[in-house]
Amino acid sequence: MTAPRRVLVWGDEDDPPIERVASVLADRDVDVVRIGSALDDVGYDIAIAPEPTGALEVAGAEIPVASIDGLYLRPGPPAPARMPAAAALSALAGCLRGPVVNRPTAGRSNWSKPFQTHLLAGAGFRVPETLVTTEPAAAADFAGRYGCVVYKSVSGIRSIVATLDGAAHDRLELVRNGPVQFQRWIPGRDVRVHVLAGQWFATAVDSDAVDYRYPSHEGQVAMAATEIPDDLGRRLVALTRSLGLLLAGADLRVTPSGEWYVFEVNPSPGFSVYEDATGQPIAAAVADLLAGRGWPASPAALRRRR
Amino acid sequence: MIAVVGSRHDRVALSLVDRWAGARLLSAEDLVSPGWVWSNEGAAPRWVVDGRTVDDRDICGVFVRRGAVLADELLSIHPDDRAYAAAEAHAFLIAVLGSTAATVVNPVGDGALADDAVRPDRWMAAAEQVGLTVRPIRLSDRPRRERRLQQRVVEVVGERAFGDTPERWRRGAVDLVGAAGLVWACCVFDGSGRVIALTTAAAPSEEATAALGALLSQTRVGA
Repeated sequence: MTAPRRVLVWGDEDDPPIERVASVLADRDVDVVRIGSALDDVGYDIAIAPEPTGALEVAGAEIPVASIDGLYLRPGPPAPARMPAAAALSALAGCLRGPVVNRPTAGRSNWSKPFQTHLLAGAGFRVPETLVTTEPAAAADFAGRYGCVVYKSVSGIRSIVATLDGAAHDRLELVRNGPVQFQRWIPGRDVRVHVLAGQWFATAVDSDAVDYRYPSHEGQVAMAATEIPDDLGRRLVALTRSLGLLLAGADLRVTPSGEWYVFEVNPSPGFSVYEDATGQPIAAAVADLLAGRGWPASPAALRRRR
Repeated sequence: MIAVVGSRHDRVALSLVDRWAGARLLSAEDLVSPGWVWSNEGAAPRWVVDGRTVDDRDICGVFVRRGAVLADELLSIHPDDRAYAAAEAHAFLIAVLGSTAATVVNPVGDGALADDAVRPDRWMAAAEQVGLTVRPIRLSDRPRRERRLQQRVVEVVGERAFGDTPERWRRGAVDLVGAAGLVWACCVFDGSGRVIALTTAAAPSEEATAALGALLSQTRVGA
């Protein structure tokens, strides 16, 4: 009789994706080891070379690294005193020879939205015309050229995407204090695509809001499962793989004339909102991956996927 | 122009600016100063270096001496806003370095700078790929006695290796730096020839500084 698989789940119980994946894994008789973001009951004595060895101590129990078959992580920031433990776990997540959703260094392009836009364009995706500037005249020129323009953060820090209306025009002088990202407004329908190990789940989002994540400002949001062209789905799978990700949440918009734009690829998507709205089995698919289904066993295949 | 991306408090960065003809320091404050234009739709890109605007086409090389833009460096920004401004400036710097046609040392790989881009999981995988043996890195919260290791360093600039070490280590270091997607780095070996670390935090040696200066001052492709 083979031992049950063991999967480490690092994140907080009140985070729906964490809770759902852990719950599905438990239902499948996977040994789920939970680690909270606080890391207050975690010890570590590991070595990486790059194959990891050693053991963790979680809530008083020793967990040999060799016994960990997969890792799902969406931790919040630890307390300063627990940063070394977070660093050790991150290093382990970078080296573990099994599915890790996602490795901390993968998808770092999402920290810089214009950098990721550059990568997306290089991969052949259509991206919006974008300007990042500290020059008010350049911003005004850009807005004048495209008429309807949105602005948003440059970094991965969440910001509410907003249109550059008359009041914002009056504040363009403020871009002198730091870089601001402007993009041509792309009309159309938002589509969130969760890409996972060769498959994808697409959700159409209808909203009157400029940024549908904040609907209370401008209107309601309706989500429904939808289809995307197979070729686009395959390209998103290839992109996700090239970024070193096993799970990604890609934000797209399809224009009335059928052009698909890609805005960004989120390496740690909060998929539960879309799952709730559509019934798409995303948590189950993540759990499948962590439980070993669809994960290549050979080291050569593993290297190709990393 | 060579732009040295670093802090005004970084003596190594300042010495490189002095050493390389036409080099200027690109500070954190430059990143939050008026003049930057960076777009994907045809507007001519412009930098701010040492307080002056510079056309992107006039930047031939960039040497990166920082892993992050720190909030405390942005003295012109209100203290309450510095953390956000630093994150934005850092993200912008990544975008600029990741898309300019100038030679960037080290290139922005997956969205990180300096040693943050060369974390052990990455360089160890690269070492494995080129057939080098690595010395395990131990991470532990248990008390232990540190062992003093004999260290020998090979410094690599492109295909050139500097350091008094066996030739096979030098070849291995060149292969490792290339496999890690870097141009310049120091590869640290133990006495047995196992790789202990790959780092870009050190100050470039005299020989490497000269080689880097020559590399970064080359006319950029398409200029």
